[in-house]
Formats: sequence, structure tokens, C-alpha cells
Amino acid sequence: MNRIGNFIRSLFLWELLVGMSLTGRNLFAPKITVRYPEERTPQSPRFRGLHALRRYANGEERCIACKLCEAVCPALAITIESEQREDGTRRTTRYEIDMFKCIYCGFCEDSCPVDSIVETRIFEYHFENRPEQILGKQQLLAIGDKYEAMIAQDKALDAPYR
Amino acid sequence: MSTELESPADRLSVHVREEIDAWVRQYPPGRQQSALLGALHAVQHENGYLTVTLMDAVADYLELPRISVYEVASFYSMFETEPVGRHSISVCTNLSCMLRGGDEVVAHLQHKLGIALGETTADGRIYLKREEECLAACAGAPMMMVDHRYYENLTLEAVDRIVDGLE
Amino acid sequence: MSDEVRIEVDGVSLPARKGQMVIEVTDEAGIYVPRFCYHKKLTVAANCRMCLVEVERAPKALPACATPVADGMKVFTRSERAVAAQKAVMEFLLINHPLDCPICDQGGECELQDLALGFGGDVSQYTERKRIVQDENLGPLISTDMTRCIHCTRCVRFGTEIAGIRELGATGRGENMEIGTYVGETLVSELAGNVIDLCPVGALTARPSRYTARPWELMAQEAVSPHDPVGSNLYVHTRGGKAMRVVPRENEAVNETWIADRDRFSYRGAYAESRLPRPMVRDAAGQWRETDWEAALQQAVAGLQALEPSRLGMLASPASTLEELYLFRRLAEGLGCTNLDHRLAQGDFRDQAQAPVMPGLGMAPAAVEQLGAVLVIGSDLRGEVPLLHLRLRKAVQAGAVVSAINARDYDYRFPLATDLRSADPAASLAAVAQAVGEISGKPVPRPLQAAVQGVSVEQAHIAIARSLLDAGSALVLLGNQIQHRRDGALVRALADFVATATGAVCGRLEVGGNSAGAWLAGVLPHRAPGGQAQTPAGLDARRMLTQPQDGYVLLNVEPELDSTLGAEALEPLAQAFVVCLTPFVSERMRQYADVLLPIGTFLETSGTYVGLAGQWQSQAGAARPLGEARPGWKVLRVLGNLLSLPGFDWSASDAVATELRQRLGAVGPVEPAAPQVLERDPPEGGLQRLASLPLYAVDSLVRRAAPLQATVQAQEARAAWVGPAEAERLGVTAGGRIELRTEHGRAELPVHVHASLAAGCIALAGGIPETADLGAWDRPVQVRVLAAEAPDLAETVE
Repeated sequence: MNRIGNFIRSLFLWELLVGMSLTGRNLFAPKITVRYPEERTPQSPRFRGLHALRRYANGEERCIACKLCEAVCPALAITIESEQREDGTRRTTRYEIDMFKCIYCGFCEDSCPVDSIVETRIFEYHFENRPEQILGKQQLLAIGDKYEAMIAQDKALDAPYR
Repeated sequence: MSTELESPADRLSVHVREEIDAWVRQYPPGRQQSALLGALHAVQHENGYLTVTLMDAVADYLELPRISVYEVASFYSMFETEPVGRHSISVCTNLSCMLRGGDEVVAHLQHKLGIALGETTADGRIYLKREEECLAACAGAPMMMVDHRYYENLTLEAVDRIVDGLE
Repeated sequence: MSDEVRIEVDGVSLPARKGQMVIEVTDEAGIYVPRFCYHKKLTVAANCRMCLVEVERAPKALPACATPVADGMKVFTRSERAVAAQKAVMEFLLINHPLDCPICDQGGECELQDLALGFGGDVSQYTERKRIVQDENLGPLISTDMTRCIHCTRCVRFGTEIAGIRELGATGRGENMEIGTYVGETLVSELAGNVIDLCPVGALTARPSRYTARPWELMAQEAVSPHDPVGSNLYVHTRGGKAMRVVPRENEAVNETWIADRDRFSYRGAYAESRLPRPMVRDAAGQWRETDWEAALQQAVAGLQALEPSRLGMLASPASTLEELYLFRRLAEGLGCTNLDHRLAQGDFRDQAQAPVMPGLGMAPAAVEQLGAVLVIGSDLRGEVPLLHLRLRKAVQAGAVVSAINARDYDYRFPLATDLRSADPAASLAAVAQAVGEISGKPVPRPLQAAVQGVSVEQAHIAIARSLLDAGSALVLLGNQIQHRRDGALVRALADFVATATGAVCGRLEVGGNSAGAWLAGVLPHRAPGGQAQTPAGLDARRMLTQPQDGYVLLNVEPELDSTLGAEALEPLAQAFVVCLTPFVSERMRQYADVLLPIGTFLETSGTYVGLAGQWQSQAGAARPLGEARPGWKVLRVLGNLLSLPGFDWSASDAVATELRQRLGAVGPVEPAAPQVLERDPPEGGLQRLASLPLYAVDSLVRRAAPLQATVQAQEARAAWVGPAEAERLGVTAGGRIELRTEHGRAELPVHVHASLAAGCIALAGGIPETADLGAWDRPVQVRVLAAEAPDLAETVE
């Protein structure tokens, strides 16, 4: 009995029709694709993209070399070396993130007690040569300086939920 | 330190040393630390307050580590480690005195002398030491202590009289 | 009545001894009770209140550290009341503690942080002002953040009870109580660094490693300190193969839970600028150039093979490992060289044939605490063996009678029964020997008769003799200064007699953490490994450097600093072919050496050290050797291979030690040679120089540890010390400057006046560049005053 049913279904291309009906329904449905890069999907303020090191308003770097981000990083992408700066404060002498190792989990941002390391909404960047993917302290600070307005806004939007 | 050949104990006056010796004799040998309070009182009585040099002298004289003298001197409120006025006044503001106007006495003194608690008048005459916790004279509240003497059942007029009478 | 009681803790019945505190019983049973102020080596203070536990029928929770056990006592450590009490205490402790864990060096290993996780609340009820405490500068080793202090007073108790120097105290009271020195002086205890470990919070942390690493990044590697023969057990904390800090490793038999600052901070020397990262050779034109190992070794081998073995001198540092020393010995054997020694700091070699197999205490360090009497001769105990000084201090507290014969007051932190001030220890000891002979009826042996002739026996000498004779167990301890002296043999012979006649043990302290190992391994001109006499004997360390040889091999030696000859030791080197196996390079080394082979410091090599009691302690090598440096034993092995010496095929340092052990096992009991006649030197005219290696100049590594060199002790060592009478005669006061001259050279030093210094003496440290040019330590010194007084500070401030 079953075999006869299967035979009839294959004869009338039943499976194909079922499939095509889905195609047909979506042909006229509203589309979610956008014409990137002219068009962009909306981003959450929590989007986890390129990393940045922030500064306080007075220009002082926030990072205090507590190394919690280094400790929490599951991909071991962060390397920090620290020392006592001349004014007696604890500062990094080296802060590097290997962007090829990074899995963009955002733990570093979560663990930071001074909101220094953050992940910005920037995701369009590339590296052309091998060692370039290791971002150093000055690069990260420069990213932070450049996008501080955006970072501050995102942080403010997210603040009520933290 | 090695470079100090002259013992700082020499900086104590003969009279103070005699007094310290009297205190030391009251305790068993080797327990000269017990004489420390008496020794510091003697030194403060002569100098008005305790300097590090004098505390060192006491330490060396009693053969104690210097820090243990600093500890005692800084612990007890009756020892002064900064220059203060000739007469020290402390007013009780604990419960009985508070109910009977101790706070007004403090405010009056501050106003009259133009200084805050813990300060000395410009002429170096009066040192308004502190709000004292209970000095065990509740029956005579409000009270204040001037140079270890109690004045009880104070009124603001009485305070004026006492303070004006100080040299 | 038995001492045993039983108490019940959390329903478990536990045995206890009367007088024990509850926390000791729970610690032994592995039941956890939180605590801050309690420390097993310190007295009970019970001021943190963190260890509150519930005791049945007690109206309130009681502190476990201060509650003695009683039979049938029922204790609850985790009951509702106990935990509520602990949580309440924690809330109080956190009232004034700053919330700066991310920048605190203690973060990650902080007792308060750990306990706050278990007992702390999320939100504090305290909304008032937090207190802030001004920091004091406690010196170059300890950094302070006193706002973090929770007033456990462990550091205060350590100073009072263990180190014997009460430097820190608690001033003020209540909320205004502060831990500090009150006057802002730096700590001068040679053990001060231990307060870093004791501090349960981040109030006292190590300054040299401040902010450089986090506890969770560090790997703890076991090591043994090479700086003194105590052989303190260490953990070297490394990150990425680099030593980041050093902390003590508990070993009751050796260092208990303490280490000296020298052991703790010497690691910084390994990363000094003068570290030699690559092999270097001097080319035909006399220019230094870096090269690879192969070329450097070839040049060394070619040079050594060209030499007559009898014209070669080989000197090793007594801070080297046993394996290095034994390979050094094997290298000498292979080359046929008998001029081999490690005793650069020795001044008298006349009695070397009578010496015991190795120097040491003759007893376990812990046994020192049980001694009845001790006589210390010529020793700056706190500088030479800081932890042995602690043991002696404990012995005194237990009732031991300790006497000393020293040229100056070395400020032992315990009272001395007899404190003989003498610049001529031989004369004083001869008097003691005479007194011992008279009281005990044992005559002074014939060879020493001449030495005791005509000495005047005084009350003090008799007192010392009696104390040794009356004690059940006694020790006669010879310090490093006796090793340095020109008449050391006589002092040693007299000490031996005094010890034998009184039934005491004669202990000898020598420079270097492994001088015992060097004696065992046969890095000596007159003995084979194990102590068997070797004839004919070669040249000893002093003669090797006074009678120029054609070539020298130096193992981690800086002759101008390590040798009692001072810079005179360099004169024969300038003409000779010199191979240096060294972790460091100095300007002077560049002048005399021909090949520089970089070896690892003690942090970077596996090896064994032989301690005071003859115990062998091994380590596996903690850090990665810097640059192309290699462990010394590997370099020596390859040198042996290239010289085609047989049997140089070990693949691990343990195998070297095993071979030495087998060789020692084959050696029978060694009979020391018969004593020889020794006489006292007549006292010399002029200023007699008292020289020794100060606390922070004992070996090449310590000399390069910047934090140690910045301490008060190191600075004080770079001065000329005279007694008040001598100062008056010279017309200088403390802080003045004098020029010193010997036949060899000159030096300029500031003057320190020390009340206790014997007359006719000037104490000038060895082992420091400032005095090296004066030449041999026993040269008479001429003094010229450059500035009679300390420069007026006001003028220099401008």
C-alpha cells in the first residue's frame, strides 16, 4: 500500500511542488537582505567588534594593568606586561590583542573594572600581513580615541541593563 | 643609629630622670616598661608636649624600643605630641552633660576663644582639647576639665570666669 | 594526669593536648577556620576576630585562636551563629578597606579577598567616610599602602618576636590606629621582607616586583638559596621563564617559614645590565667581540691545551652548585692541574690538612635551639647567616648562655652573657683556652702551648669557659671573619681545643652557600673528593694569585671582590690566559679575561647545595637562562668533551651528583693530619683593617641586585668605620670623608663612627668596588682626612 502511494507521489513530482511552494511564498514576501555596503542592518549597542582602549576625559588612559581581561580571555589572545609608572600608578607597558585568536566573546569587556577595554561596533577591518593582526597598546588607544563618542553612547545605552 | 655617640638619654633633665627612676623602682627589675606612663607624664609636665627627641630619650633611658614609646604616647589622649597651649580644656559632652547643656558650653568656648576644638589660641594660652567622653562626674553635669582639674555644675558665666582666670 | 583531651569539632571527636588553642586542633585536623591575625609562628593576638566559632555553653562566639581546649568541649565552626559572627566581622573589616583590588599587588593571593568571597556581603551598610592613612617610606624593599591595613599586627609581632627588632608598631588608637614606624624610618632588619608574606592584605608588598606580575600568572619553582650555608628553601615565581619574585618555601629543619631579604631579592641581580648574554672572545687584536658557543669554546680549549697544567690556576665560587664544583674538579683532574681552590675568602691556609672534611655546624640548624651554651667568634651573624642568628636567638630565649668575641658589636638581637671586644681573637681565645685548660684540668696541647704563653686570663674568659663547661650541650662557632684572618689557623686550632675540652661542637662558617659542597667535591689543592689527602698539594687560592700562573679558569669568580687580596688578585691575571665562566661581565673582567663563557645564575641551573648540617638540597632550575647563557655544569661538561677528557658524558645534573655520591661512598673515614705548632702573631703597629664581606656583597649576584644595594645596610657598608677614640685621634666626625692608602692603592670613603669598635681598628668592607683598590685585606692602612665633618646639607640642597 505504502509503495503505491510513494509511486504516485514521485510520478506527480509532489516533493518538488512542496519545495517550490515555499519558494513561491517567499518570492512575494518582504525581504530582509540589505544592499551592503550601501545599506546596513541595525546594530545593537552591545555589538562585539573591533577592540579599543579608552581614556578618561582628562586624557589619562583608563587601563590599570589589573590583567583580569588577560586572565579571563578564553582564547589567550591578550598579552599584558605592566610596571609602576613614575607617578607610582600601575600601568601597562605592553597591551596586545591577537585578533586572529580573538573569538569576540566580550569577556574582556565584562571583566574590566574601569571600562577600559571595550569592543566597538566596528567590524569592517582587515589585515594584509601576518603580524599586523596583533594590535598593540598605541593602536588600541588610537581606536578608542577615534570612536570615543560612539563607545560612550553605546555604554550609556547599555548601562541600565548592567 | 651608629653615628649617635651621645646618648639621647642625656637630653632628659636631672629632675625628670629622678622621677623616672622613682617610677622604675616601683616595679620588679626588668619591668621598666611599666614606668613608661609615669616617665612620659614627667617629660610632658616639663616640656608641655612630647617631641620625638624626648620620646627617644625616654626609650633609651628605659632601654625600650623607640616605637613602643611612640605607641604609648600616641595612644593616650593625655599625651600631646604637637605643641599646644599652656592650659588644656576639655568639655564632657557625654549623656549626662549633654542633657544639662554640655554642647552649649563647647559652643560658647569656641565662640569666646575664636578657635575650634583641637586648636590653640593665638597667644598660646588656651588649648581647647576635645569633647571628652564621660569623665565620671555625672552628678555635677555639665562639667569640664582644665589642666586635670574638674569644674562642675557649669553655667556659661562660670565658664567665662574660669577661662578668664587662666594665665 | 594525662595531657590528652578530646574535643568535638562540628560533631567530629578530635584529640588535643592541654594548652592548645582550638585553631591549632582544627588546623591539624584540616578543618577550616578563617583567620587573619593568627600565624602559627607568632604569638596569639586575637585582634582580627575572624576566627570566631561557636562553643557550646559559651554565651558568645569565641575566637578559635585564643580559646584553649578543654575536655569534652563542643565547637561548631560552621554553625549559624559562628558563620553569622564571621560575616559580621568581615563586614566591619571591609568598612575601611579600599576597593582597589584591581591595582593591588596582593589581588589574587589576598587573604581578605578570599575570605570576603566566602563571608562578605554584596553591599555594605556603611555609608560614612572611609579612613585614609598616609604611607611611610619603609625603604627600597617594601612598599606600603597602609590604607589597606586591617591591623592584624602580624608585622609588628614578627619584628618583636622573630627578628628581635621592634621597628613597626601600632600608633594611635581606635579608628586612628596606624601601623608604621611613626617617625618614617626605613626598616633595617635583614629579615624585614618576611612581613610581605605575613601581611594578609596588600598593605605591605614587595617593592622590587611591584606591579609587574599577577599571582595567577606565576609558576612556583622550587629552589635553594646559594647566598649562605643555611640553604634556605625558596619558591622562585616565574613567568615566561623569567624570575619575577622569590618567596620562602616552608622547611622546618632549614628555614622554618622565613627567608632573609638577601635570598628574597637577589634574583634581581640576574637581570642586571652587566649580565653576559652571549659568549665573548678577545681576538688577536685584543678587541672584544661576541661570538657563538662553538668558537668561544674552541678558543678556550685551544688556550688551555697550550698551557702547562702545573702552570694553570683554577678558582671556583663557593656559591656554585655541587655539580658545577665536581665537574670543575673533574676538569682539573683531566687537565692534570692541582692548583684548584674555592677559598678565595680565606686568609690562612696553614691548617688546611687538619681541617674537617667540610665546614659546617656539626649539628642540625634546628638543634641549635636546644643548646645550653654558645661561643661565637668573629662573626657578623646577622650578615653572614641571618637565619642561624634567628635560631641562636631562640636558643637564648630558651635559656642558652651565648658569649661572643668580636671586634665590634654586631648588634645581635639577643643579650650576650659575655661580650668580649677584641680585635685579636687569637689572643682572647687563647685566654679562654687557658681558662678551659685550668678549670677542666685538660692541658692545652703542646702545639698550642706557645700561643697561650703569657696570655692574661681575665674574669670574662673564665666566665666563657665556665659557660661552655657547665652546659649540657655547647657550640663554639667560628665566623667568616676567622676565615678571612691571616692567623685563622691559630684561632681554629684554639677553638678546636676549647670545643674538645668542654665537650662542645666546633662549628665553622665559611663564605658562600656551598663551601661545604666545594670541600666535598674536592675543589681544593690538597684533597680529593671526600677529603682524602692528595699529594703533592697544589697551590691554594691565595698563592695561586700571588705567584703568577700562565693561565686561569674562573668559575663565577670576581677576584678583586671575592678574594682577600682585593684588586691585587688581578695583577697575575693580566698577563695570563684567562677563561671566565660567568653570568656577569665587568669592566675589570674585560681587562684580564680572554674568553667569557656565559653561565646561568642559581635561578637558571639545576643543582645541589650542601648546607650547614651537611644536608644535600637539590633544585631543578627555575628560570630560563638569559640570552645564550647555559647552566654552568653543561658548559663544564662540553669543555671536558672538547678537551677529549674521558667520562664527560652526563646528560643530566643528577647523574653528576650520583657519580660524586658513589665516589664519596668509596672513601673511608678520613684521618685529619696531626696538628702543627702555631704561634700568635705579634700585634702590628698602625691601623689594623677589619675586613669582611658585608651582608649585600657576598657574591656576584647579590652585588648586582639593585634593590639590595639601595638598602641602608649596603650603603653603610660603603664607609670606613672607626671607634670614637680613633675618630678623635684622626680628627674626623661621622659623615666626614677620608682617603685611605695602602702600598697597593687608594680609596675614598665617608666615615662612620661606631661606639663599640675596638681601638686601633678601621673596619673596611671587602667585596665592594670602593675598597678593592686597597689590595690585600691585611695590608696596613694610612689615613688622610679629606673632610672632617659631614657636608652641610643646606649648601647642597640649592
